[in-house]
Amino acid sequence: MNQVIPSSTTTSNRHVLHCRMQSEPAGLERLCRVVRVRGFRIAGMSVESSGEHFDIALTLEGSRSISMLQSQLLKLHTVGEVVLGAQQARSVA
Amino acid sequence: MNGAQHILQAFQQHRITTVFGYPGGCIMPLYDALVGDVSVEHVLCRHEQGCALAADGYARASGNLGVCIATSGPGATNLITGVANAFQDSVPLLVITGQVPSELIGTDAFQETDVLGMTLGIVKHSYLVDDADSLPDILIEAIALAQSGRPGPVWIDIPKDILLTQVNPEAADQKEREGCDSAEPRTDSATHNGAIDKGINETLRLLRAARKPLLYSGGGITLASAENSFREFAEHSALPGVVTLKGIGNPGRHNPNHLGMLGMHGCRAANRAVDECDLLLVFGARLDDRATGKPETFAPNAKIIHIDADSAEFHKIKAAVLTISADLNDVLHALTCGVKAQPLNIEAWQKQCRTWLTTGGFQAADNEEALAPITGPAFVRQLSRIASDDTIISCDVGQHQMWVAQYYQFNHPRQHLTSGGLGTMGFGLPAAIGAQFAQRDATIINVTGDGSFMMNAQELATIRRYRLPLKIIILDNQCLGMVRQQQELFYENRESHINLDDNPDFVAMARAFDIPALHINRTDQVRRSIETILAYKGPMLLHVAIAREENVWPTVKPGGSNREMIENTKSAKKKTEESAA
Repeated sequence: MNQVIPSSTTTSNRHVLHCRMQSEPAGLERLCRVVRVRGFRIAGMSVESSGEHFDIALTLEGSRSISMLQSQLLKLHTVGEVVLGAQQARSVA
Repeated sequence: MNGAQHILQAFQQHRITTVFGYPGGCIMPLYDALVGDVSVEHVLCRHEQGCALAADGYARASGNLGVCIATSGPGATNLITGVANAFQDSVPLLVITGQVPSELIGTDAFQETDVLGMTLGIVKHSYLVDDADSLPDILIEAIALAQSGRPGPVWIDIPKDILLTQVNPEAADQKEREGCDSAEPRTDSATHNGAIDKGINETLRLLRAARKPLLYSGGGITLASAENSFREFAEHSALPGVVTLKGIGNPGRHNPNHLGMLGMHGCRAANRAVDECDLLLVFGARLDDRATGKPETFAPNAKIIHIDADSAEFHKIKAAVLTISADLNDVLHALTCGVKAQPLNIEAWQKQCRTWLTTGGFQAADNEEALAPITGPAFVRQLSRIASDDTIISCDVGQHQMWVAQYYQFNHPRQHLTSGGLGTMGFGLPAAIGAQFAQRDATIINVTGDGSFMMNAQELATIRRYRLPLKIIILDNQCLGMVRQQQELFYENRESHINLDDNPDFVAMARAFDIPALHINRTDQVRRSIETILAYKGPMLLHVAIAREENVWPTVKPGGSNREMIENTKSAKKKTEESAA
């Protein structure tokens, strides 16, 4: 039988990612979908549109490797840059 | 020239000569443009899923872009399984759908679905065209993107009014010129540079230091058109090698150091070599769960070097000590030069692997009793012996797929069309149709099961319409065999909804589509029936009744370790009983 880990002890890292992507109607959907599918929760998000680009700051929570998420986001055709911000303290969900 | 006519012009400019489609309301302007057009052959399938899977099979067999077309709403949703299939296996596909007119988008109009939204997870990229003058740009980018780097499907959703709107001729002309210059190369591959040279030197250093190095290759070899470079390296390095399901055929039929397919239904020799190796050199593979089993116990003693076009695959399942993201041809050429200059000293390891292959390779016993029931492995082995070296086999999904992977000897990976990532039942028949349009003179056989065949059986009408000389072999065990097998082994033999003993009369069904058909159920009929269908000039179906209880061996419990392979428990039990008697 698989052991169920109580949620109170599940550890989660908090990360801030700064993304720049081409401004297109489905852009934010693409970005958020990848974040969800690759195992992260969006705790905060701000978007600024500067003509041809979206500049997006994502505050994310998740226990998986953030570099893996960065790699997957960079595979999106309209994403040009994904920079990891100052990592905040490890938190307990 | 309107949007629809411009699409056809773009096809011509990019040498797209065959497309698979099904008309309907919102895509009608494109079908109107096709009237009288001789530059592209439009193949009418009988279901949009058939169109997408045929385009997939066309791309796999040819190495060129596959194109499928459908209308909005149900036309688009019916494409989804086929497009997801292409996405999972990195097949270059251009998908074009009609959409309701721009002013109706968002009004829940007739046959309106949010195609862009519902397909985000199964495309490399997608577009909803909102301006006719952007269409030339989008087509050029989409065609290049689908084929560049790690290939995949790109979807263009076009409202009906855009198809009817005149495209600015100046923009179109300029983009055509730019497109033909830019769309050819696989543009986002890493270029050969200092970092890659350093990686190659380090790879050679690690190879020379290793005592038990192993070559692991997947579908990325074919995607990079690196078959020849791979074989040259495999030959000169003399490394023992294993392949994934999509890598079958990479080393050809005659590499003495090739151990076979690894993984859940891989051979014991291949899994043993992975377990024992001290260096695993991975080319063009993503280390998926069906290949690795439980990752913690996969290649536990090995340093992993991972070489792939897609750097997002590095460290995803297993950490690598060294990664190289580059054109596989460049890396393989450089490594071949390295091992030629200083050959590897791994004779003891090669000998050990060959010993394992002798005792733990795939060995299907031929039935010697003429009246004995036919088994899947014995049939496939016989088929492999009789079919010519360049025959293309298009499989469906299930037990027959694994028997083909285990017992058919492929000479080239493009001869083995199989749904690896998505595992799409119903893939085989339309994929074979697509492959036949790509390789007009090739012998193409759809090896299928009774469950899979019924998933896209309507495409028999496509075979009839175009008089394709396809051969169809149904290995019929009157049930969903792979599910039955897992219920037997892992669910205490509780069979649940797998019984198909009310299958239609497949021979009569084929004949209803004007396709001649044969039925066999005894071992002594196998050879002659295979020779008969292969000798026949037109399409033919062979219905093979096989034993219901036959399993795919060996197997690994889903989520389990490849060290814990389960052997043929039935035959072991039978042997014990026979000994006791």
